[in-house]
Amino acid sequence: MSAPTDRAEIVHQNFRQRLNAGKLPDAVSKISLAHSGLKETELVDLFYAQLISRHLDRTSRKLQARGESFYTIGSSGHEGNAAVAWATRPDDMAFLHYRDGAFQVARSRQVPGGTPVRDMLLSFTASSDDPISGGRHKVLGSKKLFIPPQTSTIASHLPKAVGTAYSIGLTRRIKPWAQSLADDSIVLCSFGDASFNHSTSQGAINTASWAGYQNSPMPVLFVCEDNGIGISVKTPAGWVEAAVRARPALQYFRCNGLDLIETYATARAAAEYVRRTQKPAFLHLGCVRLYGHAGADAQSAYLSTHEIEACEAKDPLLFSAARLIEEGIMTTEDILSAYDRVAAQIERVAEHAIKRPRLKTAEQVIDSLVPPKREVPAANPVSKSRRETTLGKADTRAAGQPQHMAKLINLALTDLMLEHDEIILAGEDVGKKGGVYGVTQRLQERFGQHRVIDTLLDEQSILGLGIGLAHNGFLPIPEIQFLAYLHNAIDQLRAEAASLSFFSNGQYTNPMVIRIAGLGYQRGFGGHFHNENTVAALRDIPGVILACPSNGRDAVLMLRECARLAREEQRVVIFLEPIALYMIRDLHEKGDGGWMFDYPAPGSNDTISAGEVGVHGEGSDIAIVTFGNGTYLSRQAQKILSDEHKIQSRVVDLRWLSPVPKEAVLEATKTCERILIVDECREQGSHSEALMALFAEQTEKSISRLMAKDCYIATGPAYGATMPDRDDIVRGALTLLEKRKTA
Amino acid sequence: MTASRQTAMVICPGRGVYNASELGYFHRHHTDRLDLLEGFDSQRTQKGQTSLAGLDSADRFVLSKFTRGDNASGLIYACSYADFLSIDQSKYDIVAVTGNSMGWYTALACGGALSGDAGFEVVNTMGTIMQEDLIGGQLIYPFVDEDWQEVPGHKQKLLDLVSDIADLHVSIHLGGMLVLAGLEPALKSAEDRLPQLQDRYPMRLANHAAFHTPLLSGNASRGRAALPSSLFTQPNIPMIDGRGHIWLPKASDLEALWSYTLGAQVTETYDFTRAVTSGLHEFAPEVLIILGPGTTLGGATAQAMIAADWQELTSKANFIARQKTDPIILSMGMEDQRARTLA
Repeated sequence: MSAPTDRAEIVHQNFRQRLNAGKLPDAVSKISLAHSGLKETELVDLFYAQLISRHLDRTSRKLQARGESFYTIGSSGHEGNAAVAWATRPDDMAFLHYRDGAFQVARSRQVPGGTPVRDMLLSFTASSDDPISGGRHKVLGSKKLFIPPQTSTIASHLPKAVGTAYSIGLTRRIKPWAQSLADDSIVLCSFGDASFNHSTSQGAINTASWAGYQNSPMPVLFVCEDNGIGISVKTPAGWVEAAVRARPALQYFRCNGLDLIETYATARAAAEYVRRTQKPAFLHLGCVRLYGHAGADAQSAYLSTHEIEACEAKDPLLFSAARLIEEGIMTTEDILSAYDRVAAQIERVAEHAIKRPRLKTAEQVIDSLVPPKREVPAANPVSKSRRETTLGKADTRAAGQPQHMAKLINLALTDLMLEHDEIILAGEDVGKKGGVYGVTQRLQERFGQHRVIDTLLDEQSILGLGIGLAHNGFLPIPEIQFLAYLHNAIDQLRAEAASLSFFSNGQYTNPMVIRIAGLGYQRGFGGHFHNENTVAALRDIPGVILACPSNGRDAVLMLRECARLAREEQRVVIFLEPIALYMIRDLHEKGDGGWMFDYPAPGSNDTISAGEVGVHGEGSDIAIVTFGNGTYLSRQAQKILSDEHKIQSRVVDLRWLSPVPKEAVLEATKTCERILIVDECREQGSHSEALMALFAEQTEKSISRLMAKDCYIATGPAYGATMPDRDDIVRGALTLLEKRKTA
Repeated sequence: MTASRQTAMVICPGRGVYNASELGYFHRHHTDRLDLLEGFDSQRTQKGQTSLAGLDSADRFVLSKFTRGDNASGLIYACSYADFLSIDQSKYDIVAVTGNSMGWYTALACGGALSGDAGFEVVNTMGTIMQEDLIGGQLIYPFVDEDWQEVPGHKQKLLDLVSDIADLHVSIHLGGMLVLAGLEPALKSAEDRLPQLQDRYPMRLANHAAFHTPLLSGNASRGRAALPSSLFTQPNIPMIDGRGHIWLPKASDLEALWSYTLGAQVTETYDFTRAVTSGLHEFAPEVLIILGPGTTLGGATAQAMIAADWQELTSKANFIARQKTDPIILSMGMEDQRARTLA
């Protein structure tokens, strides 16, 4: 019989042969079982977790060859992380590396009734019975085991782990009604030595360190599983340790992950340190990668045979076997019998798993995109006196008079925070300064530093904080100071927050309202970085709601609806505030006060529901469909069209940019034959494209559009040069009407 | 080992399976194991209890005598354990063992966590304590129809009833049925409110205490005082308890096993359905062998399999058809199926 060439088979045969021959590796650790705190039976239990994880990998690869499994990026070589699971509590939330199969198996052994073999095989085989993702993805995860699923490939789970850790400290001061984590729990997140270098993980580690440095509770345990290579690129020897040790307020722990006993002892010390001090720690776990990066990865392309074999000689199962024999707990025969019985067990279960149903239709796949609605407690009753005390005299008076949008949003946030103790605001300069445009002024005074958090300058960490707070029952309202700053952090939204319900089959949610100040038209201020005029990166994210008010009244009512959508329907909502309209008071002429509005009292019947568009005017000569600043400019143009050209129009304000309220737009424009779309965003990827398609597909109307040039915004006098203005809208309408007449 | 060796999960029955038709079960099937019975009886003699050999050899079945906890428990254990020892392990590779209620004690012995004698000591002690204290009782009620199809909302109604009535508890999740337990007024109240079904339900279980409820915490304490953890040893077969938790060979914390067995197992709901489901899902056995005596656990086991959507089992009719051609449950209380399990 020829020698096998499949590395998984070689590792398998090596294990059996070396066991039979008694050629086990020398001990790599001096920590004895007696000194580790681990019982003999626990060591065997962890060995079983390793065996199960190993054979799950092997079986998954075999199933893939049969077309029955769809993911072969395995945990082989990393099975020491079973001991990390054992060193933490099963209610310590764990955001896991994709190589943490043994961790999940070990943790499932800590909670009665777990069926990790079946559960993980259903995930590998993409069955709709998969208890975590419902067959949508091979992800590690479990509701019962406090393991939220996520895409851990580029360390994008670290910021939310840090945010979740922060939330635990916060629950000692504020108890959200939906709190899910124990006050004395910690958070664990694991990742590889390659993704350690990712800016996301560096940012998250920095944030944890920043918080710990100033004694903010930050009970997070970073676990770096260092196998020395990221696909084909080797990690420089000593790099991870050198890069981490210098971090302030971050305790460094190191262990050899090949040895279960040492790993357990070190992980336990690290977890105890984090739990006791509430400070972050970094557990550096040395391990090996067996069988290459994933099923299709031929490691011989970048590693020598000698290097591959050297790795395989360090199979952690061999080290565990050596320990079990040395401690007199199991014999060689016991170990081989357990190894073979687990292999057979997993192969049997796999044959059942592959017969379970799989998702077939788009409806089935989409089903968990939108989270389930939930029952919520009633809002706090807020007495008149409490409200007035909170607002203070000036703002109580202001609430009774027309105000600009910035003030009205401030009042709305105040009332929402009075009504819902679980609301937490967070962002750069939102606290003491009250926001760069004053929108959050005095909120920190009113509600304290714990509910209005001045964060460090890192948008990934701000969104991670939002996601993490939401994991623990808070209703976060994180702020991104400027739309242009979102882009460095948008993966937190696109890949993490928005996908959580989808990947967890609706079991995990992270409801929140993300406030973003953005769009153009600030007179001469800021240029591109403060006037970003595209929402393309937001409007294609499945499941996310994007709201954009054009005036203060709408802003209040829409913000309340956004909070309701997050609170009751668990949605991820973005509330895009047009900066240029924050302080606008007049509409047509100086002093007319046409863009100031009365503050709709909390609890009034005046509401705006998701998907409800605004319609101004009843004219049917032309409908101008727009949003944000476009609404303001179109309202000005509407008057000119009427006064100077006897053209009666209506302005349809989308309000809700994603999903596009198609039916409502068609209904609002049904009596108009001419449609002018006014879009302040850059043409490529703008809403004007979607609206043109909508009208073209659904109607026979004459349509035309105005939109911004595909260019950045300039600073100085040309600030508005690339975007439609009032006169462009008047001309656009006239041209469209003229065309119609000619036709 | 034969080429056709099948994997099997063994299921140990609980109380109420030794009835008139089972009279003489041990002597009928296990004349070669009378020494086993003698050993058990020597423990009973020391306590001044009726001998099991005598009970099993009695001329007639006297309900009040045979269903007493101090008699029934030991008798059932002896029959079940002897059945387990009779399974031809060259034909069946036993990959896991579980039990229903009192059957957990038998499962501990089958799995090797208790010796045969220690298992008997546990069973007999707990049965005796139960009989001495005789706290409350149990009734059984289905939430599936006669074809074992779950009737939507019925289970919830039963759970709501438990929430409504003080001191009424869910004792056992038993396939398509719930066993409810409580003190007499609670049981009476439940019986008054539950509609009569299939001429049998709600069915009161004679001489049963309120097992698996906090009402038996005193029994549990007495059990812990009487039965030391040193009785327990490492199992050699994975054992699945009444929470669906799997106790693995050499990996079982014996203090924890003792504590569960004489603690939460006694005072908290026993989820037999979950135990069967865990066994199926984690070990995928080809057959389930239900030890004797009696045959009544087969229905609940099949119902649990249907609930777990196991091997396309969907109904009672479909299960019976499957049993005729290629039995998936081998019930040692049924002669034809028993024969398959023996050498």
